[in-house]
Amino acid sequence: MDLTPDPVQAAFIDAARHWLADNVPAEPLPPPYTAAGIGSHRAWERRLHEAGYAGMAWPRDYGGAGCGPDLDWLFTTEYVRARGPERINRLGLGLVGPTIIAFGEPWQQQRWLARILDCSELWCQGFSEPEAGSDLAAIRTRATRDGDDYVVNGQKIWTSLATHADWMAAIVRTDPGSRRQRGLTFLLIPMHLPGIEVRPMRQLHGEPGFAEVFFTDVRVPAQNVLGGEGAGWAVATTMLRFERAASVGHPARFLRDVGDLVELVRSVGLDDDPVVADAVAARYAEAHIFARYMEHVLTRRREGESLDASASVAKLYWSELEARIYETALDVVGPLAETADALPGSRAGRDLQRRYWHARASRIYAGTSEVQRNIIAERILGLPREAQWTSG
Amino acid sequence: MDLRLSEEQRQLARGAREFLADACPPATVHDAAGPNSLLDRVLWKQCAAVGFLAITVPEAQGGLGLGLLDLVAVVEEAGRALLPLPLLETAVVADVLARYGRTGVHREWLSRIADGDLVAVVVLPGQRLVCDADGAHLFLCLDDAGGLHAVPRDEVRVRRCVTSYGGRRLSTVAGALDATTELGPAPHAGRRLVNATAVANAALLLGICDHLLEATVEHVTVRHQFGRPVGSFQAVKHRLADAHVALETARPSVWAAAHQIDREDADADAASAIAAIAAAHAHQVTNEQALQCHGGMGFAHDNPLHLWLTQGKDVERAYGSVRQHRARLGRALLHPNRTDEEYAR
Repeated sequence: MDLTPDPVQAAFIDAARHWLADNVPAEPLPPPYTAAGIGSHRAWERRLHEAGYAGMAWPRDYGGAGCGPDLDWLFTTEYVRARGPERINRLGLGLVGPTIIAFGEPWQQQRWLARILDCSELWCQGFSEPEAGSDLAAIRTRATRDGDDYVVNGQKIWTSLATHADWMAAIVRTDPGSRRQRGLTFLLIPMHLPGIEVRPMRQLHGEPGFAEVFFTDVRVPAQNVLGGEGAGWAVATTMLRFERAASVGHPARFLRDVGDLVELVRSVGLDDDPVVADAVAARYAEAHIFARYMEHVLTRRREGESLDASASVAKLYWSELEARIYETALDVVGPLAETADALPGSRAGRDLQRRYWHARASRIYAGTSEVQRNIIAERILGLPREAQWTSG
Repeated sequence: MDLRLSEEQRQLARGAREFLADACPPATVHDAAGPNSLLDRVLWKQCAAVGFLAITVPEAQGGLGLGLLDLVAVVEEAGRALLPLPLLETAVVADVLARYGRTGVHREWLSRIADGDLVAVVVLPGQRLVCDADGAHLFLCLDDAGGLHAVPRDEVRVRRCVTSYGGRRLSTVAGALDATTELGPAPHAGRRLVNATAVANAALLLGICDHLLEATVEHVTVRHQFGRPVGSFQAVKHRLADAHVALETARPSVWAAAHQIDREDADADAASAIAAIAAAHAHQVTNEQALQCHGGMGFAHDNPLHLWLTQGKDVERAYGSVRQHRARLGRALLHPNRTDEEYAR
């Protein structure tokens, strides 16, 4: 047991802090899902790569720093503390890249990985469909082999970044007679091909973010299959595990959010209210409990243990925690929270609505809380499966 | 960064689990419960013989000279078996005596603890009930001003309380608890006692949760309704998944807090409160789901589960409730520069 960084880690932390202090933009970048914002966010991702802070946990052979999960983790801690911009390349670095490393042919790895690292190509994830949400095996989008191409027809939905992405990592059904997990294939689709139509969707709080994507006779080169035809389910579930473990749920975020909550309580003058103090202390404890849990998981990962199901424990805990933090924040602010500029002087009060609804979304994306509970109950506790249900 | 028990600590815990499965089966727990039972001196000696009571005693006094992290690894197993002995209290008293005791008498107490000849309990400010006070030889009492006193049995009056049928042996303790010389410099010695007791008690709760969850998983796997195991229903699965999450996420906080107390870390106060909150929450969730998923069978006195259910609720609040630990944390967060006395005003 050692809760402090070793000398290598301490030196790394020191360097990262300095780099972030010198480089994180003083003024927030324009929102990422806008024409102005997307360019500045891509440029920011490129700078992170040039400084050696992109894909740090990727093996050296694939352009990463090969430094294991620890430094990647520590960098995110410092990044969150420094309030760095939203990471639009998270999907490429955290999900698509590792999946290509795991399943790709050498030429595929050469073709795609470097361009993920420098963010010259931006990725979106083509999993969910109107009839395939939590029930991912119900995929209907078809890909029919025709010569050297697949001809793709169908629809994806809730696709984040689809309007700006260059590539989609998609699951399609290549065997028309197949059911459920069989007959699925993992296909990397260029987003600029003829026959692809992206219709942006507005979210409940008014912001853009995700989209519907329609495919009409889209010809995708057959060589863009990852992991072989018919192996789509295995590739997709691997990517889902990367997704659950991805740094979006890094404890530094919730420790920072709870710090903001304390600031918010002071700014509205409720710091002598015992009910508020109780709620804030509860959130503070929960954020620390999650941080300790993840430090434990990191230790076991470093020692080579496979911790697939623990990713569900982490996802469930942090997404529920995040929602509670922002429920508490709304309660503290009261009706003023409905206005965008209620507390202009307070960092914590700014953007409260947007942050609140993002927190609510966390319980839904990357596997709903209910799906995570099924996985925990069946794969960790070993409870019997329901006749009609499978966690994949 | 390395947050897990060492191989030696895991081995210590495995050994404790095997020993307790044999030495402290449910029948022993059952016999020890209730209003008329007495502390089992034979079992106490057996625990001393396998070294449980020597963990926090220095090697110079015949102990193992280990720390609180080693202790919590064993105490979790004591919780799993619901060992009806003040093991954690005696070990915590030894930890404080080892660090802050000065006299030959203190050193002698430590040797007697390691040998299984001295049972000690803890009395914190405002604590109304003391478990196993009637079997104890030594009372380590913290007064309201932060002074710590080691009080022998003949200077206190102990009155056994009427408790529920399967409950722990609770007593009130009265007398001149602060008459003896103070032990160690206030507030450090008292703070260590408060923190170590909270964290060790949290470990005991984790062990109680371990048993409740395992017994419940087994029950819902075997029990059939509507022609299938009740554990195949999502309504049941989700309850037990919540219990698993609360328990698994709590454990590293308990380990970290024990380690931070051992290292006299500046954050040990907050870490101890967090550990206590984590374990109490895990127990609230697990206790609720265990009884609910057992249905009527959980309410039957013939089912030994009731011992873990009822005693667990007692352990959950023994050394400060969730409310009290949160209040302590909330004060530190919102008013970091105010002392506790200023806050009380």
